[in-house]
Amino acid sequence: MKKNSKIKVVTGNEAAAIAASLCRPDVIAAYPITPQSEVIEKLSEYHANGALDAELINVEGENSAMNSITAASLAGGRVFTATSSWGLVFMYDAILAASGARAPVVMANVNRETPGIIAVSCGQQDMISVRDSGWINLIAEDCQEILDMLIMAYRLAEDYEIQLPVMVNYDGFYLSYLSEKAEIPAIEEVDGFLSVLKKQPQRPQLLPGKSLGCGSHGILGGYLELRYKHCRALQRAKNKFQQISKEFQKRFLRNSGGQIEEYKTADADMVIVASGSMCGTIKTVIDQKREEGIKIGLVRIKMFRPFPEEELIRTLSGKKSIGVIDRSVAFGFFGGPIYIEIKTLAQDINASVLISFIAGLANIDITVLNIEKIIADLIDASSGKPYEKVNWIPFGQEA
Amino acid sequence: MKKRKLSKTFKYLQHPDPFESGLSFCAGCPLELLIRLVPKILGNDIVITGTPSCSAPVLLGQNTGTWHKLAYYGTLMTGAAANATGLARYYNRAGIDNTVVCFNGDGTAADIGFSNLSGAAERNEPFIYICYDNEGYMNTGIQKSGTTPFGAHTSTTPVGKKSRGNKNRRGKNLPLLMAMHRIAYAATATMSNLDDLAKKLLKAKEKKKEGFVFLHIFCPCPTGWGVGTDKSIELCRMAVKTNYYPLWEAENGKLIFTHKAKKPKPVFEYTKLIKKFKHLKEDEIAVLQESVDYNYKLLTKIASE
Repeated sequence: MKKNSKIKVVTGNEAAAIAASLCRPDVIAAYPITPQSEVIEKLSEYHANGALDAELINVEGENSAMNSITAASLAGGRVFTATSSWGLVFMYDAILAASGARAPVVMANVNRETPGIIAVSCGQQDMISVRDSGWINLIAEDCQEILDMLIMAYRLAEDYEIQLPVMVNYDGFYLSYLSEKAEIPAIEEVDGFLSVLKKQPQRPQLLPGKSLGCGSHGILGGYLELRYKHCRALQRAKNKFQQISKEFQKRFLRNSGGQIEEYKTADADMVIVASGSMCGTIKTVIDQKREEGIKIGLVRIKMFRPFPEEELIRTLSGKKSIGVIDRSVAFGFFGGPIYIEIKTLAQDINASVLISFIAGLANIDITVLNIEKIIADLIDASSGKPYEKVNWIPFGQEA
Repeated sequence: MKKRKLSKTFKYLQHPDPFESGLSFCAGCPLELLIRLVPKILGNDIVITGTPSCSAPVLLGQNTGTWHKLAYYGTLMTGAAANATGLARYYNRAGIDNTVVCFNGDGTAADIGFSNLSGAAERNEPFIYICYDNEGYMNTGIQKSGTTPFGAHTSTTPVGKKSRGNKNRRGKNLPLLMAMHRIAYAATATMSNLDDLAKKLLKAKEKKKEGFVFLHIFCPCPTGWGVGTDKSIELCRMAVKTNYYPLWEAENGKLIFTHKAKKPKPVFEYTKLIKKFKHLKEDEIAVLQESVDYNYKLLTKIASE
């Protein structure tokens, strides 16, 4: 542990609020929504107490939150917002405009379902719905990672070679309201970590009296080049995040970054691919199964966009069976969205068995029994028994 | 020969014109006059924001590249006021002297961007919002908007066997709605009364230091309304003379008239000039007249408070 850090028990939402205020944002604009509300309540509290010095805009909707911070970001400010579910969807046009303008905004998204207004429950469908908006998407597993990823998000978003918005996702309810021990770094340390950005060339700012415009980018012939550069920047973000993660580890003495986490995969025959809070349960079951001599491991996706293709090919190559657990659905395909993306790597990784598991929708707990069944299915499939390619959990099984 | 007096408006024009000499507006559009006036009065260091609209090609370089030297930001219609909020708040925090001007049509102000306009007004955000109202979505092909008046023909409220234009609606009284937020400054103005307009622009810059400013500019559209390209200013004048468009200002909700028509003409004197009202019969004109009278009476009542 770092000497000048503090240990505190925090909720996931509190971790997000602390992280944001540690990064000294200029402008914060946000609108409350369950399960995110605590984030802006905390920020308002810090602001009222004088601990947070920022412009706090209590906007009248999420759409305005994203629009306000995008503008402030283009003017040169460091910005923050947090949202969830319908809020994320309500700001969708502004989300596209933010990435189109290459505005380095940072947002916490507390994952929640979106089938109708009553689904106030966990699920990654909101994140999946905005998947193709040109943002960098990170997924945290616990409260510490929420805090750390948000700090790293500023380094990534504002890096001169990247200049893209970053969304840090974490599971609503399971993480947003979970109280956990977390190490809170000293603000001077965060200053030091972010100070690298000041030494880089500075992006142009929209300032009074300067003959410069933005928002009309992509006129006529410029559009193709703009998109190409945007896509290239996203590709660069993979290595950049790796590099920032290493620096973070060096300074704060813990590893919270990286595109993926590999848990007991080196000698594994079978691998589960998953993301978010469910991974704690999966690791526990893997530990038990390892004692029984079953060679199973976990690959946790931490960076969802850009998709960590190379890292996944490296770890998944040669594995006999792969099970992908999605906390969301892909409409029009029967399998889960991340499963489909892993499938695009099938040729490179040469896996003989690739199974989709859709689990944990709308706050259905992903239990030890569920994971045990998934592993049993993978074992059966590996041994040549017939298997279902897509499995909805807990349909037909004991929870 | 009698020496002609220079218009009083000239004394307000203290800054250079940042625009090209010819702008790509429709022939006869009074927007060109307005758009040149804004930086000449407010200064060339304004940051102008706007949405896809009639002014977008010139202001934001939609399709063409911009026609001016100002700092500008093209925003979404849904978030026009929110974007201006973000800019103004950041500049204020960073200690950067600023005048952010959010320049939009009635579609953005009264319809799709109304919630964030109202939100910015409620929070008294430190910038100037100028709405040029041509009573419809003119840039996209003359469709009905929230300020389209009773009976008007538009491409989505056409006149047909079973339709008589924009029926059963009266259009929002947008400037009054904004004044009722009790913002620092709200005013109406138009191009026939340039002194009044110039004064209000200058006042807007002062009042912006106290909070939100909303200027509503009545802006006839020769193309969309079906009038000659030489008739725009005449229409503005007649709208004022008939009380169709009364001129007033309100500081923190306290309303005063800045011009009063001595003997208001019947609204027919105004509608008869415009093709979009041509189909209206006497009883329909009476409805429009009732609207004009009602609005004027309401304003008078508020002004006497």
